Amino acid sequence: MKYKFLLIMIFLSSCSKWLDVKPQDGIIRDNYWQNKEQLKAAVIGCYASLLDNALVQNLFVWGELRADMVSSTLYTTVDEISIMQANILASNSYTGWAAVYRTINYCNTVIDFASQVIESDKTLTQEQLDAYLAEAHGLRALMYYYLLRSFGEVPLQLKASSGDDQLQQLKKSTQQEVYDQIMKDLLFAEQHALETYGNILEDKGRLTKFSIYAIEADAFLWMEKYDDCIAACDKIILSGRFGLMDGNVQSQWFNTVYFTGNSNESIFEFQFDKQKLNPFYPMFGAANNRFIGAPRVMEEVYGIDITDATKKDIRGDGGSMRATDQMIWKFAGATSGTQLDARTAADSYAHWFVYRFADILLLKAEALAWTNRGTEALELVGSIRSRAHALVFTERTPDPASAIDVSNYILEERSREFAFEGKRWYDVLRHAKRNNYAHLDILLDMVAFNAPGNMQQSIINKYKDVRSHYFPINQYELQADKQLVQNPYYQ
Amino acid sequence: MRIVFICLLLLCSCKKVAIVSNTTDEVNITGYLQLHPDKFSSFLKIISITGDEGFLGVYGAYTAFVPDNDAISAYLQLKGKGAVENIDVQELKDLVKFHLLEDTISTSSFSDGKLNRLTMYGQYLITGASNKDGVTRITVNRQANIIESNIRVGNGIIHVIDHVLQPAVYTLAAMIENDPRYSIFSQAVKETGLYDTLNILPVANTDSSRAWLTVLAESDSVLKNAGFNSYADLKARFSYTGDPKNPDDSLHLYVDYHILYGVKYLADIVSSTSHNTLAPLEVVTSKLSGQTVLINDDTFNGIYEPGVELNRAGSDNAASNGVLHAAMGHFSIKIRNPVPVYWDVANFPEIRNLPAYFGKQNYPFALTNMPKDITVAGPSAMQYTVGSTYVNGDFLQIPLGGPNRSAWVELRTPLLVRGKYKVWICYRTQKQSGSSNNVNQISVDGEPLQRTMNFTTSMPVSSEGEMEAQGWKWFTDPVSNGWAGRQVGTIEIKTTDRHLIRFTTLQGTQNTNNLDMIHFIPQDMDQLYPRFKTDGTPVPRP
Repeated sequence: MKYKFLLIMIFLSSCSKWLDVKPQDGIIRDNYWQNKEQLKAAVIGCYASLLDNALVQNLFVWGELRADMVSSTLYTTVDEISIMQANILASNSYTGWAAVYRTINYCNTVIDFASQVIESDKTLTQEQLDAYLAEAHGLRALMYYYLLRSFGEVPLQLKASSGDDQLQQLKKSTQQEVYDQIMKDLLFAEQHALETYGNILEDKGRLTKFSIYAIEADAFLWMEKYDDCIAACDKIILSGRFGLMDGNVQSQWFNTVYFTGNSNESIFEFQFDKQKLNPFYPMFGAANNRFIGAPRVMEEVYGIDITDATKKDIRGDGGSMRATDQMIWKFAGATSGTQLDARTAADSYAHWFVYRFADILLLKAEALAWTNRGTEALELVGSIRSRAHALVFTERTPDPASAIDVSNYILEERSREFAFEGKRWYDVLRHAKRNNYAHLDILLDMVAFNAPGNMQQSIINKYKDVRSHYFPINQYELQADKQLVQNPYYQ
Repeated sequence: MRIVFICLLLLCSCKKVAIVSNTTDEVNITGYLQLHPDKFSSFLKIISITGDEGFLGVYGAYTAFVPDNDAISAYLQLKGKGAVENIDVQELKDLVKFHLLEDTISTSSFSDGKLNRLTMYGQYLITGASNKDGVTRITVNRQANIIESNIRVGNGIIHVIDHVLQPAVYTLAAMIENDPRYSIFSQAVKETGLYDTLNILPVANTDSSRAWLTVLAESDSVLKNAGFNSYADLKARFSYTGDPKNPDDSLHLYVDYHILYGVKYLADIVSSTSHNTLAPLEVVTSKLSGQTVLINDDTFNGIYEPGVELNRAGSDNAASNGVLHAAMGHFSIKIRNPVPVYWDVANFPEIRNLPAYFGKQNYPFALTNMPKDITVAGPSAMQYTVGSTYVNGDFLQIPLGGPNRSAWVELRTPLLVRGKYKVWICYRTQKQSGSSNNVNQISVDGEPLQRTMNFTTSMPVSSEGEMEAQGWKWFTDPVSNGWAGRQVGTIEIKTTDRHLIRFTTLQGTQNTNNLDMIHFIPQDMDQLYPRFKTDGTPVPRP
């Protein structure tokens, strides 16, 4: 009898708090995903992860260092110089993709668990839920699109994993599979994303229907689906929500588009601010900066009117870079026009510009060029150039019927318009690989010009192997995921 | 009882603790090869025959290019030998030495040219990358591809290669002689006696400066295009003394001019702007234009002189004492008479590219963005200064002297033709404060000139002739006593090239060292004219 009583006592006490193993200083998943506020917070968290220093640093390095717009300084790191000189090994820290997969994992988490919320929070409508999901899908697509262009074949992680940057043991998917997944995500996002959140900050800092179209347009062009690209661009152009900022007064234009950001021509930007500064000050702005603009940027890309200093391409001196010391002005500059003052470390909050309206116009122009609509393409280029007060020196008059001539001109114009925005390498690669690498010479000419004289031939020969256009998988990833196989060029 | 005792003993022996006596389990080169006998058993056998096994197994810093088993069996087949034992030991020793360098060199420091360390055999290895059927491999000596790179072991780096590397066997002389395309050039090499110069192995050469040489050879077709159908034509055109063996004979000099000091692959040639030749004090200039390697492609005195291309496909041929390149055009020593150079130092590409500043406003340069042809010691840089006129309305203001100013400034001159020049420093006299002083020694390529100059000294004004005798002149038009030309001495420029002129402050320190022009005027020419207007127009002697 006594024993029985004792047993009951134990049973009762097990219900009390001291056997409860839930953490008291955090939230566990079962208690989260209860209401729509939590859902929104989780989605915003995905965007917050974009502000990770490593991520934008990678995006800049991946998009620019192998191209011809950036020069090294005395302070450039060994890994960075190695990329510039086509000596890329799996031990290079910039081949790490953890920062991108971290954001992907946040998106996966939202995608996996958001649907629980609708059961517990009756005020959440299906429409709202879908809109949130659209953002997660769209962001995941954008991240995979960066990976596709940088690494080619990557593992498709589509389920949330417990560790932050930990992958399940996954095999690489082919480029086509990655692309298909991107398009699948974008299709969902396109249907459900909102057109506006009702304020500028969120319209430029969160994915809207239009930013989804922009990613689509870019990805369609990458895969040479020109009609689809034009259709996606037209949806943005015809919406009437975006336009090119006036370029008549360089200082105002620079202030609106680059210093403050979120201008009317912006479609999607990473929203650095005073609370979360970007990592660009030590990269571009400080006295011991690691990257400066290449000398050819002023001399050849924008051109210099020796006789009249007032005649200048607003995107050149004071737009993309400060000609006097080649500082990368887009991210390091505070003022433009006649007085060029640099940002201080505390002001280093320039946004990362993912898509601007000018990009849409030029993406469309490129697609038009390859669908026998060269004249329309050149009109679009003309509108970009006249806004920017481009010099006659950089004007070309290609035969509208010649797709390659028009598209080469567009490539040049893109280098002016998007200098240092992390697009140059992808642009050159897209042009080079078009029609099964029919125009590899575009890429080879670029690297030949850029290479140090004593390594030029080796570098050219390396780039002749098209497998070298994609990064190796970092050695750390290979150890962590035994299913991964190193890309053949780097084996 | 006895049985139990034995059992106890056995138990004890099982408990023995292994004492770790080595500090690391990292293997050395030999150790690594032994770990992978499937790939390297043949090479291991070679180094055990040659006795190199030992030193590759102990500490050091080596780079080993290791041919795998397939590579060595292909080599044996080529040699017609059944096994490595059948090859002469000395030959194997040379072979192994040719695969080893006494330094650790990873593929990231490979270039298009030679590795900057000799192999232990005493010949350079060249690296590169080649693309075959869309697949790029890093190559060594154009003989082997690297199949596994940068394997770090305790005493260095291993690169696995798919062919055995074989040292060059011909000297430059033999290589030219053996190539039927160079029959005319080869004959010229022989007739001038330079064949012997090109036929000595580096180890046997008593003149260490000529141990390694580089030849820019002209093929018969190149010479024919230039109108020389035979050696006789060449001799008739160049040989004035009739004895090509005479070092002063122009044919001798013509061949000398095609031989550069040192072993210079194309990658080395483009890394420097000029190269000394065996022709005394004559240089060839070089540049990379796009992907084209050009020599003697210069603008001289405002006139562009197109250069000669070195054919990439026919060049970079390694010989046992140097490297042979193929010139795609005929070139010879250019006979030039010294011409005066009136050099406006405040006119250089970096400032011209800043139209907002050039000719309009001052621009302070920082140490981080100095023009490429002007170097300062630091900590101070210089300022491009506009507005107080003279030539082209601008000058350079270069703070000099210690301790917070640079101790010296060095400028690269325009192309100066070989000859004797008087050097005039043309400056605006200015004292930063009443007591300021700034005495400088001027040197050209490290050779000090006879006189010093002082940026704060006003010139003594008297008649033109008297002033010239004292080493002063007006260089402006109209003349201005505040703008002085100071003759700092006569210099013999030995090579037609761009040279370095340096101002080293001996005494005093100030900011306002206003350098406007530097004149290099051949000593037998008019030193006082032309003078220059503010817009840069030269005014000749009336």
